[in-house]
Amino acid sequence: MDLSVQQFRSEAEQALLDLYERSVDALPGDASVADLRQSAIRTYAGLGLPHRRIEAWKYTDLRAAIAEIPPLLAESDAPVDGTAFEAAFGKAFAQLPAYRVVLVAGAVRTELSDVQGLRDAGVEFGALAQMLESPPEWLMASLDAASASGDDVLIALNTALMTGGVALRLPEGLTLQKPVHLIHLDGADTPGSVYTRNVLVAGEGASATVLESFGTLGRAGVQRNAVTTVSLAAKSAIHHIKLQREALETIHLNAWVANVGADARYDAFQVSMGAALARNQVSVRFAGKDAATDISGATLARGKQHCDTTLVVEHDVPACESRELFKLVLDDESRGVFQGKIVVARDAQKTDGKQMSQALLLSETAEFDSKPELEIYADDVVCGHGATSGQIDEDLLFYLRARGLPEAQARALLIQAFVGEAFEALDDEAIGDAFAAVSAEWLGSPAE
Amino acid sequence: MPAVEQTVERVKEIDVDKYKYGFSTDIESVRAPKGLSEDIVRFISAKKGEPEWLLDWRLEAYRRWRTMQEPTWAKVHYPKIDFEDLYYYAAPKSTEGPKSLDEVDPELLRTYEKLGIPLKEQEVLAGVQGAPKVAVDAVFDSVSVVTTFKEELAKAGVIFCSISEAVKTHPELVKKYLGSVVPITDNFYATLNSAVFSDGSFVYVPEGVRCPMELSTYFRINAENTGQFERTLIIADKGAYVSYLEGCTAPMRDENQLHAAVVELVALEDAEIKYSTVQNWYPGDAEGKGGVYNFVTKRGDCRGDRSKISWTQVETGSAITWKYPSCILRGHGSRGEFYSIAISNGYQQVDSGTKMIHLGRDTSSRIISKGIAAGFSDNTYRGLVSAHRKATNARNFTCCDSLLIGDRCGAHTVPYIEAKNSSATFEHEATTSKISDDQLFYCLSRGLSEEEAVALIVNGFVRDVLQQLPMEFMAETQKLIGISLEGSVG
Repeated sequence: MDLSVQQFRSEAEQALLDLYERSVDALPGDASVADLRQSAIRTYAGLGLPHRRIEAWKYTDLRAAIAEIPPLLAESDAPVDGTAFEAAFGKAFAQLPAYRVVLVAGAVRTELSDVQGLRDAGVEFGALAQMLESPPEWLMASLDAASASGDDVLIALNTALMTGGVALRLPEGLTLQKPVHLIHLDGADTPGSVYTRNVLVAGEGASATVLESFGTLGRAGVQRNAVTTVSLAAKSAIHHIKLQREALETIHLNAWVANVGADARYDAFQVSMGAALARNQVSVRFAGKDAATDISGATLARGKQHCDTTLVVEHDVPACESRELFKLVLDDESRGVFQGKIVVARDAQKTDGKQMSQALLLSETAEFDSKPELEIYADDVVCGHGATSGQIDEDLLFYLRARGLPEAQARALLIQAFVGEAFEALDDEAIGDAFAAVSAEWLGSPAE
Repeated sequence: MPAVEQTVERVKEIDVDKYKYGFSTDIESVRAPKGLSEDIVRFISAKKGEPEWLLDWRLEAYRRWRTMQEPTWAKVHYPKIDFEDLYYYAAPKSTEGPKSLDEVDPELLRTYEKLGIPLKEQEVLAGVQGAPKVAVDAVFDSVSVVTTFKEELAKAGVIFCSISEAVKTHPELVKKYLGSVVPITDNFYATLNSAVFSDGSFVYVPEGVRCPMELSTYFRINAENTGQFERTLIIADKGAYVSYLEGCTAPMRDENQLHAAVVELVALEDAEIKYSTVQNWYPGDAEGKGGVYNFVTKRGDCRGDRSKISWTQVETGSAITWKYPSCILRGHGSRGEFYSIAISNGYQQVDSGTKMIHLGRDTSSRIISKGIAAGFSDNTYRGLVSAHRKATNARNFTCCDSLLIGDRCGAHTVPYIEAKNSSATFEHEATTSKISDDQLFYCLSRGLSEEEAVALIVNGFVRDVLQQLPMEFMAETQKLIGISLEGSVG
């Protein structure tokens, strides 16, 4: 069956087209950006919202999940201060030392951001909305590359409707001492949609840690579509970290697309604990030899939350290494999805790829769906994946209780240990502690 | 890289003569006219003298099939099949069913001799003393030719005959179980099979009986442009045990032959069914021309508590394999097993795996899949393990390993794991690698030729699965693996 031509449109699918029509004149960008938007919305119009018959969305039916399309959130000057950060991300995170950039509805709130600090450190930085009006070559190249991915509806919609975000370029050889913290805080009294695009470009030999956090202001639900493209030149390194702690009404769609040059290193780490429905995509393509990636993270879900993590690593060139480790803790009626695909192209010999997903189900009604995929066309490779699903080991629990720990505490300890394994990927101590603190808070045990 | 070129050359060399079952037999056959219509369905049904209910069942399937679309999700590529350009029924010409072997066309018997399938019971008996007896049902194109050891089986109460015979002699059993595991609405090929199935084997093992010998069916496609649609139905009543083996070969022809079979297994309380397949359909020539399209639906239903179904498959043939022997673990404490060796060489495409659907309490399953890809082939494992809400303490262990020989082939793993129950414990692991240079060097230094070394290492790689095969087929399979991989190393 040819699924590329849509048979009928749901109300929400039509509403998205209407939203584009209504907003297109006000969307930022010059003629070349407008062309990209136009072709992206055509891609969307042909495909519609992904549903379970689309293999990559088998376990997350967006067409069924999205009933209404709220209007684009307008830039607001709503007061955002320290308490808002703390409420959204917890104390440890709010206080993390970093070059902070606060984005509300995609717009950079300069009064809360350390843009000057970034520029002083040598980073080329700009708000996307302004830069789209006359995009420099490197920005246009990133936008073009993201559009070339073709049939990814999530990215197509983002291209069509992106209103803001940041563009950030590290010049050759620059090593940033402090992490960059991109804080996305959104929400108003009425529901709204937010489409943001961040563009990270690392010059040869440059390195930085970029932290993105997503949180909610106000009460009404937000539909978020956030895409970050990362382009790594030879010998560069980016550690890309995400905390998603949005309000429970949120629909959170996020894609990271990384293109990794020779000898470069791209590490991604994500913790998802908020939103009614979250889809986290990370796709990494190796473009140069001897590059490496480590993608890891954790999903903590309860209630009726649905959290989908979909990873694709494309080994297009020889001698690259990829590691993936994801841990899911699922309580109540929550549903965790993990899809991981490692593709090794014909001549990508000496590829080393490993992937692991593990789920801990805390309640009878939680659900875990996993699809770890290997697609291999080269013979001199070592690739493997594993997936496990189970509940708390009664023997371990018994051991801890025999040592005098109350059951609740023993459970929390075991869950923390389970999740903790993924946190080992964080080599920055302050960031590691901040994640330990938010996860401990989720588990209901006080942070130490 | 000269080594690679050499490999490519060698792969090209594996010509058709490596496929030793590639002969065709000149036998007059009766065919239905080409194409598919309600009339053809009626023709097949009438030809077999079927009762009204079965004709209606076929027609319902046919009408359903007309509304269905061919599945395209598998990782296989082939030109569109023209379903109107096939013969849906072909049978060796004979007026009545043969009363004894003497009446069977001697040409046909010679065919089976060439295949090494003993159809004469005395020959089997005259074999090595103490050699286990195997009852054989031979299916040639669309019809069952002969079934051996019927009497001895009947003494034990086991019914082993062709399904068209069973329709006449045991209609109540056929009516009760046919389509109860793979319903006519199941999928494109299963529905097609339901409409036009020609013959196949029927086994019923009554309560508490341990079938005294291995049962075996031997499938052979001979006629040109013919689709083979056989239907196998095996029922193990309470506490029964049966081990069943099927083998398949086809002559070499330039055009592709379609094989769309359906196998249904039903295991009632405490019963056990062991189903082994050695599939060696013609894989096509070195350029990928010809070969059998093997689109098969196999499913077992562990209907009773503590029942067990075990699938073992050795897939070396077919141009395209699309096959997922599955277990529905409905009974509490039931168990499903899947052991598979899939070898692809030349331009073969294999998309195979299993489904373990845990519905009952304390059900367990085990999947061991070994895929070996060589030449220009693609070898995909696709599997589903799911635990239903009520499947408390479901347990699964899956291990699928792939081995790549040569750099022009592909090995893929697509497992789906769905746990809807917290007490379900699922473990899945998969690896892909090539034969390590160290292992190869070691064997070579011990004086083995490279091909012998590869065959040895591959046999070691698949050992876990080989051990699951009935004794007498193990040795044969080891040889088959050697033949399938011939020419894959330079």
